[in-house]
Amino acid sequence: MKFKINRDHFSNGLAQVLNVVGSKTTMPILSNVLIEADKDFISLTTTNLDLGIRCKIKAEVKEGGAVTLPVKRLATIVRELPNLDVSFDASPNHQVKLASGGSNFRIMGIGKEEFPPLPEFGDEKSFTLDQPELVSMLKSVSYAQSSDETRYILNGVYFAFRDGKFSLVATDGRRLALIAKEMEIPATSAGAIILPAKTVSELLRMLDKGEKVKIDFSDRRCSFQIGTDKDSSGLIDSIYLYSKVVEGNYPNYQQVIPKETHQRIKLERELLLQCIHRAALVTSEKANSVKLKLSSNLLEITAQSPDFGEAHESMAISYSGPELQAAFNPSFLMDPLKALTKDEVFFEVKDEVSPGVFKTLENFICVIMPVRLS
Amino acid sequence: MSRALPTIVHLDADAFFVACEQARDPSLVGKRCAVGGTERGIISSASYEARACGVYTPMPTTRARRVCPDLILIPHTPGLYGTVSRRMFDLCEGLTPWVQRNSIDEGYLDLAPCGLRDLAAVEAAVRGLQERIRAELSISVSFGLATNKLVSQIASKLRKPRGFVVVPPGEEAAFLAPLPVGKLPGVGAKTEAMLGSRGLRLIQDLLALSPHELRALFGEGWREMVAAARGQDDRAVETEPDEAKSYSQQETFAVDLSDPAEVERIAKGMVDELMPKIRADGKRVRTLTVKVRYPDFSHASHAHSLAEATDLEAPFYAWIGPLLRAAWTRRSPLRLVSVRFSSVAAPELQLEMFAETDDRRRRLAGVLDALNRGGTARRVKHGHQLSRPPDSGVSDRG
Repeated sequence: MKFKINRDHFSNGLAQVLNVVGSKTTMPILSNVLIEADKDFISLTTTNLDLGIRCKIKAEVKEGGAVTLPVKRLATIVRELPNLDVSFDASPNHQVKLASGGSNFRIMGIGKEEFPPLPEFGDEKSFTLDQPELVSMLKSVSYAQSSDETRYILNGVYFAFRDGKFSLVATDGRRLALIAKEMEIPATSAGAIILPAKTVSELLRMLDKGEKVKIDFSDRRCSFQIGTDKDSSGLIDSIYLYSKVVEGNYPNYQQVIPKETHQRIKLERELLLQCIHRAALVTSEKANSVKLKLSSNLLEITAQSPDFGEAHESMAISYSGPELQAAFNPSFLMDPLKALTKDEVFFEVKDEVSPGVFKTLENFICVIMPVRLS
Repeated sequence: MSRALPTIVHLDADAFFVACEQARDPSLVGKRCAVGGTERGIISSASYEARACGVYTPMPTTRARRVCPDLILIPHTPGLYGTVSRRMFDLCEGLTPWVQRNSIDEGYLDLAPCGLRDLAAVEAAVRGLQERIRAELSISVSFGLATNKLVSQIASKLRKPRGFVVVPPGEEAAFLAPLPVGKLPGVGAKTEAMLGSRGLRLIQDLLALSPHELRALFGEGWREMVAAARGQDDRAVETEPDEAKSYSQQETFAVDLSDPAEVERIAKGMVDELMPKIRADGKRVRTLTVKVRYPDFSHASHAHSLAEATDLEAPFYAWIGPLLRAAWTRRSPLRLVSVRFSSVAAPELQLEMFAETDDRRRRLAGVLDALNRGGTARRVKHGHQLSRPPDSGVSDRG
């Protein structure tokens, strides 16, 4: 196996697959990248058995073949090579010679036979989505995933294709973010998966390299084919991302979304974010809440911690309802405000034991359970 | 109202547990009796007649029986002392809103808000309270009345039982001067012996020393010691009780226990006893510690912290068994088991979305707490408390 490749293209390709490695002790080969040369490209594959990624890079292939090399070390070496032209030469005993300018490396590899193949998909349910739109939708909900391993069902983002809608949901049991877009869903393709948190973060890293992304899924696994037509650093075709899904029943999230609107106020997103951020500066681990108080045309945001002090922020708003107040974890309020991009958001509140709800005109809802102060 | 008017009152109930029992059963009045563990526990309160015989607290019951063979031993009556204490402090609060409850049988009052004109009026008010407690609860309480907490506290303990000592303003130092140094806060038996060996027996002896000598004796805290010896103290009566740092309960078994299931049942019963208190305080706890004590008094403990603080029994039940096994490693029966809840959480409670089970449990707990409130024994118990074999007695609960 022999090829010539542009250093930056090679480096870019390795960066795509670098994060997905298995634990070294159980299967050493999982810390390697599978490099396959064919026609005018090489493909790079890594997997940890739960999640796998494959991308293709332009290369001048002189002799086809395959080898696996430790991905972290290889990526570091390639990035540091002195010259843009890199030649890669693997011998049948899996030793690789890497040369660039005056630099020469000999690296011990392992044969491809031991490398677990990425499962390919057959007749699964399949949808094609816009990459920029999926990125924006994922970012609007992914912060709400749970990181509590005892609630593994919530350690991911719920993808639902049904009822003429594509919805993404994430919740940690204290706040829930949901975004939906209308989409034609053929009855035979309707279904839902919970995409594990690790896959979500890899997917977010991969997306926005092209126009379209195709998702295939079954009850146990899914794959994404991420078009790379906007990429100019050597990637060709699409990136293939394979993942197991979180198996189990996602909680009935519809029941926690308030059916009725009590008091709704329109807010300037940036301004509200800044006020909450400042008020939160006085909170502590033990007193981690900010209080929102609504009165005639005024929103007051207060926070205090007994051992430090207090903060008071006020915002002029348009409001003529009754006086109301509720307290929330400031991060739960700030996360959606940071993730959204529109200038205006709506906030709905009822009383101090009912959830607060952020909404936008784009089918976005974030339900936040309050902190009860006694 | 004059600053100098002595409005600070220290009240200290006399032989409180015994007094409560005597109030319930007047035939005990005037007898050598004590409240404490019947078999192998300790004396927690002794009548003055018993004290005259040499019974003191805390003293192992077996020794108390030896020094006073005709001692009438009364087992703890669950709930009684707390109820009497509450009624006693309620009477105090009828006099002034500024009441500081230090413990079940002792506390401070500040009569400043009563607007009394002179010392005679203050004295009359406090004597009235002493009489009311006597009449309504049939227990006796000693009072000390002074311009500050330090002096009033020393005064109340001076002429027990039924004491009533007034220290007029300006006479604090003169009042303390002839008393033994051990009366001062911070001077324990060891310090008192050390001072005694240097000829310093009375509080006035301290005032005769130079700052240099005082520093040599008491180190950096010497100024506080001199202030105390002069009867100076500016601490205010705190109406808000100090927040509980932990909740605990222990039980010394009548006979050493070697059946893990029985010990586990007893420990779970403690969870059932403590959690209503935690709920009543509006608190939540995160850490559970189970401690065991062996017959040779050596002990071991093990703890677990939940991810989130809770005010429900259920999340802790599952940990009683594992913690008990982790602590109880010796192949020996146990003399005592104790359960302690700590990491008491701030009053903030992050509400949950998918917590119907917890909501239901909390509603159930609220109903059970209401049913069990007020009585001396729990009316509704959890099923795991039903397996108590008829022969296992319980000796004391602290």
